[in-house]
Amino acid sequence: MFTLIKREIEDHIVYFIGAAVLSAILIALLTSAMYHTEPGDHSVFIGLSIPVIVVLIIGCTAMGVSQIYTDRTRKISTFLSGLPVTRGRILIARIITGILAILTVLLPLTITGMALWRLFEPPIPIYSGVIFDTFMVTFLTGFACYCIGLQTSWTSSKITPTLGGLVLTCILVPLILVKGFGLHAQVILVLFIVTSLIRTWQKFMSTAI
Amino acid sequence: MSENVVEIENLVKFFDGRCVLDGINLKVPRGCIYGLLGRNASGKTTIIRILLGLEPATRGRTFLLGAESTSLSAKVHGRIGYVAEGHNLIQNYKVGRVVKLCKDLSWRWNDKFFKHLIETFRLPMDRRVRQLSIGMRAQLNLSLAMAIDPELLILDDPTLGMDTVVRRQFLELAIDVIQQQGRTILFCSHILSDVERIADRIGILAAGKLVVDCPLEELKKHVKKLRVIFPGAVPSDLYLTEIINKQVQGREMVITVANWNQQKQVILETFKPSSCTEIPMSLEDIFIECTKPNPIPLPAEKQET
Repeated sequence: MFTLIKREIEDHIVYFIGAAVLSAILIALLTSAMYHTEPGDHSVFIGLSIPVIVVLIIGCTAMGVSQIYTDRTRKISTFLSGLPVTRGRILIARIITGILAILTVLLPLTITGMALWRLFEPPIPIYSGVIFDTFMVTFLTGFACYCIGLQTSWTSSKITPTLGGLVLTCILVPLILVKGFGLHAQVILVLFIVTSLIRTWQKFMSTAI
Repeated sequence: MSENVVEIENLVKFFDGRCVLDGINLKVPRGCIYGLLGRNASGKTTIIRILLGLEPATRGRTFLLGAESTSLSAKVHGRIGYVAEGHNLIQNYKVGRVVKLCKDLSWRWNDKFFKHLIETFRLPMDRRVRQLSIGMRAQLNLSLAMAIDPELLILDDPTLGMDTVVRRQFLELAIDVIQQQGRTILFCSHILSDVERIADRIGILAAGKLVVDCPLEELKKHVKKLRVIFPGAVPSDLYLTEIINKQVQGREMVITVANWNQQKQVILETFKPSSCTEIPMSLEDIFIECTKPNPIPLPAEKQET
């Protein structure tokens, strides 16, 4: 399994580099904002969060699409299936790689957020789980987009994955804005991810490669 | 442990409403070199892909090393070496990276044998797969398949693109593999002289059916090509059944007859020919006769049904 994950990371290294760069930029912006804005002024963070979510959605969808698209054009699964590897393992390795790419953006950002939280404790007590909830919803949003990328790229049309990604962006951004980062949004995203993964699994296991 | 390494039961495959495989039944015993023949698009590659679980069957069941193809475990895959038609290697990888990937994923890896093969074929490890010639890709694919010491080696047109010398080397390697006890080879090729040289059992696919499935020697024994010279004109009817081909020139007649037996010999002798000599038939001659639009059933097919 480790070999398969390593191969996937090496093949999609550009996404990991992009994720690391994005994370570094966000950490720099966040730290800078904490030092330079007045306490209680959240306009900078709100202004940042929307483009970040859009970039995350596009990036994650693109990675899912790219993984299946390169697999099909380069016949990677066909080659791997001739080795002591099952299709299930190939797909699991692929999904783990997707999760690792999302975590490359979010984990350093969350750790930085927690550190800044301790350094700049808000003047009035607020809900302590806010960082965890934000992390979870952002992670689930990214993962949901990654799953839609995996699922839609099975078609030979290039329009379907693009439209799929756009429709998902239009649904997820308002969902987060309306529901916030709470449990409701998390449950909806988990349900979406499970459905999407089941369909991808079924497609990947039964189709000719 | 299953006696039959490959088993196919009533396999049917449709592509876009077209029947490619129509009720194929096949068993390859352990230690056998099975040559699967057929014209282009006769379904040879489809059979192999279904066996390896790369393609779903429309109907029927297939087994490799006792395990059903639809649910082959990694452990079973580890006992099978596969050289795909067109050599499905990851084109943008360097040879060294492909080798490392295969080595890391394999359960068994005979490094000494692999290095010997790489040196024999003079494969450059630092070049990308797409920069290799078709022949070199075939050699690399074959070396990777051989390096895992496979119990079953599946070769789909493995000598495609190889020059004569390399093809000879490949055949010798295949013989090396089979000499290791218990090894089985299932292979397809359009180069019938190769098949004739190494196969001990032959299957011929035509119009979606397995029209021949028998040992090579038996196949050659049952199809006879005879040059018969009569003292007078050639009789208009010889009362012989299952004549595949007949050519008459003056007093001389050349006939190809399926399922040749003593009874047919006696019938021919009643016409008192002045001479009757057997013309040796190559596998290629038999193959051409069997893949005609309406081939005459040979004994193996009768056994199937």
